[in-house]
Amino acid sequence: MHFTEHVKIRNEKFGTVIFETLTEKIFITNETGGKILQLIDQGRDMPQIIDELQNSYEDNQKIGKDVTSFIDCLKQNDLIARR
Amino acid sequence: MNIEARTETSLNATIDILKAPEKGTRFEDYSAPLFVAWQINSECNLGCLHCCEEAGHSMPDEMNKEEAFRLLEQIVEAKIPYVAFSGGEPLLHPYFFEMCEYLRKDNVSLKVETNGEFIDGKTADRLAKLKFRSVQISLDGAKAATHEKLRLAGDWVKAVDACRLLIKKGVTTEVVFVPTKFNIHETGDLIDFANSLGVYGVYTGKIMRIGRAAKNWDILNPSDEEYEKFFAVLKEKIEKYKGKMKVYYYPYDVLEELKYRLECPSASVLIIPNGKVKLIGPLPFICGDLKKQNLAEVWHDYQKAWRNPEVIQFTKKVLADPNLLSQSNNWKEI
Repeated sequence: MHFTEHVKIRNEKFGTVIFETLTEKIFITNETGGKILQLIDQGRDMPQIIDELQNSYEDNQKIGKDVTSFIDCLKQNDLIARR
Repeated sequence: MNIEARTETSLNATIDILKAPEKGTRFEDYSAPLFVAWQINSECNLGCLHCCEEAGHSMPDEMNKEEAFRLLEQIVEAKIPYVAFSGGEPLLHPYFFEMCEYLRKDNVSLKVETNGEFIDGKTADRLAKLKFRSVQISLDGAKAATHEKLRLAGDWVKAVDACRLLIKKGVTTEVVFVPTKFNIHETGDLIDFANSLGVYGVYTGKIMRIGRAAKNWDILNPSDEEYEKFFAVLKEKIEKYKGKMKVYYYPYDVLEELKYRLECPSASVLIIPNGKVKLIGPLPFICGDLKKQNLAEVWHDYQKAWRNPEVIQFTKKVLADPNLLSQSNNWKEI
């Protein structure tokens, strides 16, 4: 997975901003979303991201579902694509 | 982490919240602007009747190379994701390509708004190498005569050739169309023509009553009936070109925009060629000077200025008397 060409990410105190500059759409996510974006940027795939987050969060089962759902949202909005 | 239903508009853009906190919907939440609109020069080869900036000759105190590059450096440092260069005619700026290269090497998204008349094969190659977010070319008519009636000294063939050259080189090319009494009847034809050229999108919206457009308002402003037909045509073309070419329009006129911005200012700054920062295009207020201040200070002053009683009062006056919009380029420091 990688960010599509016009996607820019910026961390703010309140969370992370995803700016798709071609469509001029702005998305905002929380700390966990920001962490997932960071891992995507590092080239991790979905199982690696889930694995990483399961080590950091108590609710292990829920995190897998949440990551999948979040990544689906990113795909649906053309913010990420397969390599 | 599903996308929730809540949406806000900012920076002419849509904000979707991916299970986010309430913050991030107000410009005060941001450490720096998300967008910089930078009029890099005032020089222009044309004398368009509807020019918001009243461009033509250079300003005597435009930013020099050192000042401009100091600002570019700050834009990169502040992680500003998206910058638009306009003018005047930006391709007449002596350091245009160097400035673009500076931002692109740090992967800042860059849009250029041009009349297209200086884009030949060689220039198109240079623009293509820089992988812009887009190059926007103004086409104010489906026919040369219409375009040139509004864009004095303009050359429709050159603008169209620029679109063709850029598209051939793989540059994301957009056409900007400003409806006026002179050309509103050609809206549909212009969109069809833009599609035949292969552009990425056509961008339009109601003419802004500022700058030279405000001075020529009575001869330019379309009637309500004309606008009604215009929006019907847009609706039809949006449907027709769905999935093939974007047809999009800014939904507010300048008064609606001002009213909205008073409540919800944009997380962006508008820099004019002399380094001063305007609060917003339609108002005369200057809230910073990037020759004397750094970008962080100006961002702070910009936020404060929107809460300044003088600004609020004047904006309300403008909303009550739109004739005051003609003062938008009589800058007033606050």
